[in-house]
Amino acid sequence: MLFPTLEFALFFCAVLTLNQFVARSPGWRKALLLAASYMFYAAWDWRFCGLMAAASAVAWGGGLLAGNRARPGLAKAAMITSIVALMSLLAVFKYFNFFTLSLQQLFDGSSLARDISWMRIVLPVGISFYTFQAVSYVVDVSRGDVAARRNPADVFLYISFFPQLVAGPIVRAADFLPQIDAPFRVTRQMRAVAVVLILSGLLKKMVIANYISVGLVDPVFDFPQAASMLEIWAATLGYGVQIYCDFSGYSDIAIGVALLLGYRFARNFDQPYRAKSFADFWRRWHISLSSWIRDYLYIPLGGNSGGALRQSGVLMLVMLLAGLWHGAGWNFVLWGGLHGAVLVAERASPWRMRLKPALVFAVVFALWVPFRAADMGVVGGIFSGLFGGGAGLGTISLPLLVLMALGLALNWLPVRWRLSAEQRLGAMPTFIQAALLALGTVLLFGLAQDGTAPFIYFQF
Amino acid sequence: MRQGLIFVTVLWAGLGGIWLGSGEAVLDLAFALPDIGPVDDIIIIAVVWAEDLRAPLGVPDWFGALRAGLHRLTGLGG
Repeated sequence: MLFPTLEFALFFCAVLTLNQFVARSPGWRKALLLAASYMFYAAWDWRFCGLMAAASAVAWGGGLLAGNRARPGLAKAAMITSIVALMSLLAVFKYFNFFTLSLQQLFDGSSLARDISWMRIVLPVGISFYTFQAVSYVVDVSRGDVAARRNPADVFLYISFFPQLVAGPIVRAADFLPQIDAPFRVTRQMRAVAVVLILSGLLKKMVIANYISVGLVDPVFDFPQAASMLEIWAATLGYGVQIYCDFSGYSDIAIGVALLLGYRFARNFDQPYRAKSFADFWRRWHISLSSWIRDYLYIPLGGNSGGALRQSGVLMLVMLLAGLWHGAGWNFVLWGGLHGAVLVAERASPWRMRLKPALVFAVVFALWVPFRAADMGVVGGIFSGLFGGGAGLGTISLPLLVLMALGLALNWLPVRWRLSAEQRLGAMPTFIQAALLALGTVLLFGLAQDGTAPFIYFQF
Repeated sequence: MRQGLIFVTVLWAGLGGIWLGSGEAVLDLAFALPDIGPVDDIIIIAVVWAEDLRAPLGVPDWFGALRAGLHRLTGLGG
């Protein structure tokens, strides 16, 4: 069930209505949201609900043992066992196909070659996100940052909460769990913020990202050899706009939907293409993942301690893993590795020049090419096409250029404009807020393309 | 609590308006639901029943017209 569909609109209105009736009972609210979250996930494929329940059970049980201060040895063993179990789930369901295919390619042509193409595992949607949440819960309990929950429903809801279940933001237990117990309260100002977020998310996804994808990026990246130089430049720029609008659009809708249910999540994007450095880019892009990687991978691996060589090694390793997290493919490893390399270079020589933000922008956009490309042949085709080939306009049209400009403008828009819109809407009566949400949604559905394209980050 | 009820009531009214003025879009959606046992059967029965109420009203497909107009105006969707 995708956010920008009539199905989700009906589902969400039903949940929101029922939530009003159980608003005064935290227990019933919890039960409602848990049932709704599993129903939401079952709409993708009900068989995966068992897997998510298993990950939640591991986190709940692991958390109970890992939080046992009286027996530190047992607590540490429980934490390690839980993390290994959770990461094994991720490894099997997300990376099994990648490893078997890589092995098959490695042994191709030798006597060890076997046809193992029949060994395929379907990737459960959102597994990377909820596994990371489960891991963070166990680690946070072990560190004493959050108290272990005795009630399994608390942990199950934390891991399955439907607004952010399939593509984040990755929420921390310390932020989420206290909100489960808090009395339900949604102010007019919160509704205003939610309306702005949902409408901006729908605009970014349904209009900007989808049209750029179908009209420009997909045709060029599918057949780069048939595209002109201008088309390749436009598609490279277009994909940077598309992925920003697609993913930040999803995050905006997720945060807005959660807010209407009374849950506050931190922002996941902070105008990433305004970054002044590569490190700054990672502080602004997919913030919940960057901070997760920092807190649960980079710092435990040594982080900024030790010599420059060791720090660079840790940074490279972490970025390679971040690339692999995005997808089980060598192109994602390459993307992560290249980002790691520019971060290492930046740290070794922190160039200070006026045009650095422009350089960061250009490199980040260029590095989206391996991220989007189906294989290394396409990467080569796109990069060589940037500096040769005809100058025909091909699939480039004025409406697409306007959408690309709009997508970039949304990234650069002064924050005070958004805050001002939220404040003005917050001063309006509730029925006008709801009417604007309904009317805006109808207009955006009307403007959207036929069909519904899935969000890019669903595959991760 | 009261404000919350006002909010969801207006949203339901909006959905009702969409259903009323979007031709057979909701009916198509119901038939496109995945087979999830009795749940989708109940939804289909309810939507068909509602469709029987809507059809005699002869409400035009406003949403389709809006969509065509927006696409023509912006040059998108063609």
